[in-house]
Amino acid sequence: MTIPTFILKNALRNKRRAILSISSVAASLFLLVTLQVALRELTLPPESAGAELRVAVRNRISLTNPLPVRQRSLIEKIPGVAAITPFTWFGGKYKNEGGMTFAQFAIDPKALGTVFAEAKMDMTGYQTFVAKKDSCVIGKITADKYDLKVGDRFSLDSTVYPGSLTFEVAGIYSGTPDDRNMLFRQDYLDDSIGMPGYVGMWWLKVTSPEAMPGVIATVEKSFANSSAEVKAESERAFQLGFISMLGNIRMLVASISTVVVFTLVLVAASTMSMSIRERFRELAVLKALGFRRRELFAFILAESFGLSAAGAVLGIGTAYVLYTYGNISQMTHGILISFEVTPRIIGFAALVAALLGIVSAIAPSLAVTRMSVVQGLKTLD
Amino acid sequence: MALPITYNLRNVIIRWRSTLATIIGIALVVAVFVLVQALAVGLEKSASNTGDPRNVMIVRKGSTAESSSMVSLEQFQTLHYWPEIARDAAGKPIVSADVLTLISQPRIDGKGEANVSVRGLTAMGMELRPQVTLVSGRWFAPGKREVAVSSRLARRFASFHIGDQFRTAGNTFTVVGEFDGGNTAFDSEVWMDADEARAIFDRQSYSSVLVRAVSPAAALAISAKIDTDKRLPLRADSEVKYYSEQTSTALPIKILGNFLATAMSIGAVFAAMNTMYASVGARTREIGTLRVLGFRRRTILAGFILEGALLAAIGGVLGCLLSLPLHGYSTGTMSFNTFSETVFQFRITPWLACKGILFAITVGILGSLLPAIRAARLPVIASLKSV
Repeated sequence: MTIPTFILKNALRNKRRAILSISSVAASLFLLVTLQVALRELTLPPESAGAELRVAVRNRISLTNPLPVRQRSLIEKIPGVAAITPFTWFGGKYKNEGGMTFAQFAIDPKALGTVFAEAKMDMTGYQTFVAKKDSCVIGKITADKYDLKVGDRFSLDSTVYPGSLTFEVAGIYSGTPDDRNMLFRQDYLDDSIGMPGYVGMWWLKVTSPEAMPGVIATVEKSFANSSAEVKAESERAFQLGFISMLGNIRMLVASISTVVVFTLVLVAASTMSMSIRERFRELAVLKALGFRRRELFAFILAESFGLSAAGAVLGIGTAYVLYTYGNISQMTHGILISFEVTPRIIGFAALVAALLGIVSAIAPSLAVTRMSVVQGLKTLD
Repeated sequence: MALPITYNLRNVIIRWRSTLATIIGIALVVAVFVLVQALAVGLEKSASNTGDPRNVMIVRKGSTAESSSMVSLEQFQTLHYWPEIARDAAGKPIVSADVLTLISQPRIDGKGEANVSVRGLTAMGMELRPQVTLVSGRWFAPGKREVAVSSRLARRFASFHIGDQFRTAGNTFTVVGEFDGGNTAFDSEVWMDADEARAIFDRQSYSSVLVRAVSPAAALAISAKIDTDKRLPLRADSEVKYYSEQTSTALPIKILGNFLATAMSIGAVFAAMNTMYASVGARTREIGTLRVLGFRRRTILAGFILEGALLAAIGGVLGCLLSLPLHGYSTGTMSFNTFSETVFQFRITPWLACKGILFAITVGILGSLLPAIRAARLPVIASLKSV
């Protein structure tokens, strides 16, 4: 019998215990990965193509305060601005659903070819959208969810404006990080129930990333001390501003992760000491046979490391397969979108597993090191 | 029956070292479960606490938040003198037309900004909200760009303490007082004068109207009257009902809590099983002895399940105790209803603690079921011979 087979035999001699230990490590690591992915999703939304050229312009008071439409012609004249579109929150409820399930924004229809060019859609859809005032485009996720097709008509009750609007689907887009939104025409909103003369915010496209700081400064300066002061920022900064509003959620998830890791260490360490305690007599025999302490320590470490590695492979693997190949947005009804398990998160979970293997070997090893051979041989249980 | 039970119960205490890790493990799982649910309860409580049963809240039909609601001056004039509305000593109707707007303000830790609800209201509006009391400083004086801030909100933002100044909408405001919202939705608000707010934030109309009805029947009459009046595209509800419906933010937290509880309890069940199997293995001879003494299989089964349940119940109680220090701790997040910072407290209710302990006992029973079956099935002679 070689030393590796000896270790393997020892680890698996109580198969039920080995399986239970591996499963509890796996369950905890699965949870840890899930929390880390959720935290990343909440705090670092995916960056979309074209983000480095986009600038968000909102009312300085807050995002919910509107901007006067007269700002448009002034912004368009700023050097470095390639395109501009209004972006107005409609807050519509679909049919009889209790809450909002996807966001709707009123835009300039041409913006689909300029500011939001990364949204992929066929040409006829784009042409219809530019031609027909009551048309709209919807993201693929929402289209699939409600089984909406090009040419379908539906209406939305606004929670922001009095009344509801009926739309015709002109096209279905995909290719953005969040293919859920519905986009329709600002002029349609203005004609029907909106506040003509006002828009929610502006999105700009700049000519190059280098032009962005200058554009941001000029836009803010142009409206300083006017009745509608603005705040202009890059798309990234705008997203991070949203996350800042979530407040203590980040800390909450982080502290839960800590508790999960702690529980994990505790339970694994106790199982490990349990199985070593049962083998005190054998370890004493090994000692009597002339094995050194450091060799015994290596046996225990290898066994505990092996168990936690198996748990890690199972737990992290399940999470990876589930979140990579499963349809997360369908499972969570569109609350979470990408749910990407990054190498960094896998690495973090694997590190936790490795530390777990080492930490849970410490207590039993110390006990074995301290015991005398005679005392160990006398142990009954 | 009595002997195996006392035997099993005493085992929990005697083999304390092996069971301690399991108990602490379960305690941590329960603590996480209780705390996350306590957040959801706290959010719901702050909404359902809000309002005076005599008040009727009037908003635009179809709006879900006060900040996007609109009540025009004409609409307000139409309903101002309705006989269903109570009058004060001077004979004036007890009515307040408020303006609610959101302003973006830097957080106290300097990490970004968040939206804050600013309510413009009249002296009558303050009388209509007796839950709110001034704790320090004084109330704002109209026309002087002064505001009063909830003290719970003040702790979360950079320039919301008495004497602080902040800029918004081209004006510099001074904080002159802090109030306590009494654990209601008003804990998440900044208050100022209504007309001043309308001028500064460029509002033609009001956001909502709060009225005191002369009687509960009159309150219903106001709702009905608004419903049937075509000139008034508004909705009137009791103030209590209006706020208690504002709880959709609690839903994702509840989902998170349930997900965590499920995933962690699976791990905890495995861990409890491990402990119980080891415990059964170590006591093979004792179990054999019990069987020889004439105790039946099902008694032994029940005894071991009870042992697991007790072990878990201790963990459950410990978990509740662990979570208790956070009871009342104030925290905040963005509300999906108001799109602004909502301050609320961890609320550990007795019912929630019971749920935590019940949850622990379920974990204990699930974890001890298989080991208990194994204990009950041990062959008598072989187990007596085992060392």
